[in-house]
Amino acid sequence: MTLALALKTGDLTQLPSRRDEDWRWTDLRGLIRTAPPASPAFDGEIAPGPFDALAADTILFVNGRQRHAAASGAGDVVALRFVSATEGAGHAATYAIVVEPDTTLVLLESHEGQAAGYMSDVTLDIAVGEGARVERIVLVDDHAEAIDIVTAEVDLAPGATYVQTVLTSGARRQRVETRVNHPGAHANVRLDGVYVLDHQRHADQTTVVTHGGVDGVTGQLTKGVVTDQARGVFQGRIVVQPGADQTDARMGHHALILSDKAEVDAKPELLIFADDVACAHGNTIGALDDEAIFYARQRGIPEAEARAMLTQAFLGEVVERIEHDGARAIAAAWVAQRLGRAQ
Amino acid sequence: MAAVKQTIDTVAALEKYEHGFTSDIDQEFAPKGLSEDIVRFISAKKEEPQWMLDWRLEAYRRWLELEEPTWANVTHPPIDYQDSYYYAAPKEKAGIASLDEVDPEILAVYAKLGIPLKEQEVLAGVVGAPRYAVDAVFDSVSVVTTFKKELAAVGVIFCSMSEAIREHPELVKQYLGSVVPTSDNYFACLNSAVFSDGSFVYIPPGVRCPMELSTYFRINAKDSGQFERTLIIADKGAYCSYLEGCTAPMRDENQLHAAVVELVLLEDAEIKYSTVQNWYPGDPETGKGGIYNFVTKRADCRGDRSKVSWTQVETGSAITWKYPSCVLRGEGSSGEFYSIAVTNGHQQADTGTKMIHLGANTRSRIVAKGISAGQSTSTYRGLVSAHPKAKGARNFTQCDSLLIGKTCAAHTVPYIEARNGQSVFEHEATTTRLSDDQLFYVMQRGLSQEEAVALLVNGFVKDVLQQLPMEFAVEAQKLVAISLEGSVG
Repeated sequence: MTLALALKTGDLTQLPSRRDEDWRWTDLRGLIRTAPPASPAFDGEIAPGPFDALAADTILFVNGRQRHAAASGAGDVVALRFVSATEGAGHAATYAIVVEPDTTLVLLESHEGQAAGYMSDVTLDIAVGEGARVERIVLVDDHAEAIDIVTAEVDLAPGATYVQTVLTSGARRQRVETRVNHPGAHANVRLDGVYVLDHQRHADQTTVVTHGGVDGVTGQLTKGVVTDQARGVFQGRIVVQPGADQTDARMGHHALILSDKAEVDAKPELLIFADDVACAHGNTIGALDDEAIFYARQRGIPEAEARAMLTQAFLGEVVERIEHDGARAIAAAWVAQRLGRAQ
Repeated sequence: MAAVKQTIDTVAALEKYEHGFTSDIDQEFAPKGLSEDIVRFISAKKEEPQWMLDWRLEAYRRWLELEEPTWANVTHPPIDYQDSYYYAAPKEKAGIASLDEVDPEILAVYAKLGIPLKEQEVLAGVVGAPRYAVDAVFDSVSVVTTFKKELAAVGVIFCSMSEAIREHPELVKQYLGSVVPTSDNYFACLNSAVFSDGSFVYIPPGVRCPMELSTYFRINAKDSGQFERTLIIADKGAYCSYLEGCTAPMRDENQLHAAVVELVLLEDAEIKYSTVQNWYPGDPETGKGGIYNFVTKRADCRGDRSKVSWTQVETGSAITWKYPSCVLRGEGSSGEFYSIAVTNGHQQADTGTKMIHLGANTRSRIVAKGISAGQSTSTYRGLVSAHPKAKGARNFTQCDSLLIGKTCAAHTVPYIEARNGQSVFEHEATTTRLSDDQLFYVMQRGLSQEEAVALLVNGFVKDVLQQLPMEFAVEAQKLVAISLEGSVG
């Protein structure tokens, strides 16, 4: 039951609908009335990707097809680009990444829309070896009319570290889902997210972290800003399986709603089957603090500027957690530019 | 020696579900199973008017088209709806005029449960002690309602549902099913078809109900289900506090309890609804038997500035599945939900609340404490939503889970839907186990392990206990301790 399957078979009943609990806020069956044609091979020019300057190695997919094989393992900073280039067409892609034990990888992933109204489904399998360390930055920059589903299955070995930051500006329907198989055993996971949505854009950030063994750590912080009639969705689920004691899991989701018609839906779940754990989540949704704006104004800062400052600082907390310097600078600039547009 | 004896008795009583006795009472049953004829039978038995029968039949027909929901985090074998009695009532002697004519066996049951049914007994207590008016529902019927005259003097109607249908049809017609429509959900629909009794309360404008109202539900008959329906209407500026208690005998079969509670609040009205639910939870070792408690409770704050408060202590039932909800329609209306859910043995609880903010400046507060021990599962499931028109809506939610033992589970599943930019929602949740340090500290002060656990747990749930009426709070505190008996060590 996925978009990929529906694109492949043309059978729209394969699409998840709002009656499926995990898709209640990201309905595809009600949205997609006719199956799009399959995206053709595209050999035209592709604009430069956001992380080109940082990566030693680039893996490029256009319309779901890998364009040229990369010299894999050549560098520890790899750009992974998924470009959709044909209007009104649909495609799916899958890619597997294996990170050898005791190595490090910075994965700079981008989903780029170069046409309007495409449908894209990308599935990644990421296996992180023992003691290895991965930082994944996902920048999803879709066209407003696109439908884009990105799913990553992350499998961690003991002692591995996996940190991730997802940045999205939404689309007609968009979902970035990360499922982490957490072995405990001193493996460390951090899953962060930022969404900045305007007009009628929709973005869904979903995470599932399953702790299967003792001594696991998970930290999550997702923040979003929505305005106009946009809709932000956050679903976070932390599962602690029987025996996964000494798990320390914390999840936070905070959203700002800047207009009267925007919407934020959140479901931070904890499913705990072990007793010696410390798990917590916090969730807040609201408007900018009037008192903070008042304070800034009486210091001589015009209201619009005060709002921009506060909003940027709000999202800045997540962006600052990005460890790769170059990627952090690009993410900060991207967020600032998106916020400028949203206000 | 008396003190020693008392201690021994207390310990003996603690070891099992103390309300688990059965009573041999001369009862009459409807034939087993569910059909249109049974619905007609119940309606005829209650001497209901045609409109009520039609309402039930429509609900029954709709129920046939519905499917049993499966989304809750509970597992149980399929329920055979044909293998149950839908009507079981103590045989009535013709025309009971006073309490003296009620079957003494039934009175003995209530005496054993410690529920005062004789007004003079209630009065015999300390001068100035708070008084309760009680509606006692025994299986499918209400056997007695106390203090009716005194309440009638201030205009409060407190009676059984069947009596309300006969005596106050205009009120029942206007409000019944207006908060929980017949086809709202599978179990509410079943209840609408076969409900047999329950309490009806009407508080006229500006009246503050002079005493606590309470209903005591007792399931006694074997293989029977209890389907009661409660309707409380607080007119403009009225106030009432309502308590609900429930117990059932120990049996190896599961029994179904599918109730519907509707609260209607007009302008400036306030209702405080407290529940201490202690249905038989099933055998703690094998998980055999116990009550399936599938309940729909909803309050409709229609009037501006109305206020509703749900407080529940859930310690019983094999399976609890209920979400007391508040529809905050009136401007400035507010809803509160305070809950303690204790599960032990093989119990499963999927409980929480819904706060639906429709009006401007509506406020809600949720404090839910879940405690799981043994092999039980406890889930908090809650929805907070704000409509685009609910400007200035505010919600604060806190749900904490406490785990005692390696084999239990605690889940938190909140849903938050914010649809406007002028409301503020805050939610926090934690899941932890009893702290070893705290246990050690209390035990080195001379408390046994079980006492220490009970003390810490009571501290954990204090925020909620404080919301209960005083007498109930004491009872609930004991209940929480008893429910956790045997969960450590």
